[in-house]
Amino acid sequence: MVRKKEAENYWNPIVETLPIEKMKELQLKKFKNIVQWAYDRSKFHRKLYQEAGLEPGDIKSYEDVARVPKVEKAMMRDIQRKDPFPYGDALCVPLEEVTEFRQTSGTTGTPVYQPDTWQDWEWWAECWAYLLYAQGYRSMDRVFLPFGYNIFVAFWAGHYAAEKIGCEVVPGGVLDTEARILKIQELKATAMMATPTYVLGMADTARKKLGIDPAKDLTIRKITCAGEPGASISSTKQRMEEAWGAKVYDHVGATEIGAWGFECTSQPGGLHVNEAFFLTQLEDIETGETIEEPGRKGKIVITALDRIAQPCIRFDSKDVAEWAKDPCPCGRTFRIIKGGVVGRADDITKIKGVLIAPSAIEEVVRSIKGLSNEFEAVVIKKGDLDDITLKIELFPDAEGSRETILNQLRDQLRLKTNLGYNIEVHPYNSLPRYEVKAKRFKDLRKHG
Amino acid sequence: MSPTKLKKMDTRIKKIKKAALELKEFSGGIQAVDQNASRILASVKMLEINISDILDLRS
Repeated sequence: MVRKKEAENYWNPIVETLPIEKMKELQLKKFKNIVQWAYDRSKFHRKLYQEAGLEPGDIKSYEDVARVPKVEKAMMRDIQRKDPFPYGDALCVPLEEVTEFRQTSGTTGTPVYQPDTWQDWEWWAECWAYLLYAQGYRSMDRVFLPFGYNIFVAFWAGHYAAEKIGCEVVPGGVLDTEARILKIQELKATAMMATPTYVLGMADTARKKLGIDPAKDLTIRKITCAGEPGASISSTKQRMEEAWGAKVYDHVGATEIGAWGFECTSQPGGLHVNEAFFLTQLEDIETGETIEEPGRKGKIVITALDRIAQPCIRFDSKDVAEWAKDPCPCGRTFRIIKGGVVGRADDITKIKGVLIAPSAIEEVVRSIKGLSNEFEAVVIKKGDLDDITLKIELFPDAEGSRETILNQLRDQLRLKTNLGYNIEVHPYNSLPRYEVKAKRFKDLRKHG
Repeated sequence: MSPTKLKKMDTRIKKIKKAALELKEFSGGIQAVDQNASRILASVKMLEINISDILDLRS
């Protein structure tokens, strides 16, 4: 039983406080339905399951879910640009029912196309409504979206979810950074959605070019981040919160999957998985064994339970995470992944025999006062040995403390990543600046 | 939320769905009716996800 007062804290108190056993029952029911849906309508899925000797009716228990073959991004690339053009035979609805086209950013290869029906698009907005409401968005908010409204899904669904909640939405599409800041100031916007890199870049531009201190002169008090892990990296989150005088919340999603995880206002040190919409499993990276217990890292394999045009069933996201031990004080029963997505299985690499996630370097650099927000780590082979160089910038007013800062950086890198680095200090403002997905870790060993 | 209220909501959701489907059936191909009814049905699906799909778990 949910009391009315408590109900106000949730977008849907019934779903968000469902006991875990009921949640598993719901997930299994929906999982069976979506597998059957795909089997009946998509040659791609039918062939995949038949080759594995699996019929939808074979899925009887929660444990059977792991028997269903996984789908990798490369498989989606292979089937696309064929009939029915351009999506290929994973499409489960007639082409005339597709109302939305988006594509992945292509960071890891050829972009994957994503068709959605009008129902899927409503579903996208519904997923985002859960997360924005959990982050305190309400009908009195004026939400500014400083992103290029284009073929990438980015914050599109955030726009429609904010509308659904009843917020006033200001699309900051083609404006440049300065114009966006001035519009935020003019309209007294209260919330914003952007990548961590752009959140920090906007604050920098506001101070340097417009003489505006976002924390004092602007009214943004909530920022929702996506696209990069920064909002779950405590030092980066702190920089953003201090720069804007706002609470910064993370969320995680992908074009092929949907918006599947979010931080709530309790900021429990992790992200809730929206388990009513997504069946999320952690798998041991080496053995493939399903991980249910907290404290053990695994790769996320995920199913969007109600997405119909191009279903996402047991998608190998390559994201690495671990379950948190403790429940969240917010009262949601959606489980939490501790510290958010800690890396990608593709990115976690061995350097000098040490396993490292690039996010660990970001955590160190952004924790040291005097270093600018930009950095670049480059790994090469020198003979048979790995060699890693970290390029950094000092803020101009930190030049006087240069040696102290560099010693602190070396010590922290050694402590947190177990590696020694060649440190290169570059002039302020000379390293590349990014607006969307930043590429600050470059492993050049694979390219000779 | 009592099971009775959930059931009442589910009944109304089913009625909206039925009405939207009937609109499409009677439209005679008028696009302004068909497409707006389709949009209603997409929203109805979200109501089903939020209420109806949970109902048999709670009863």
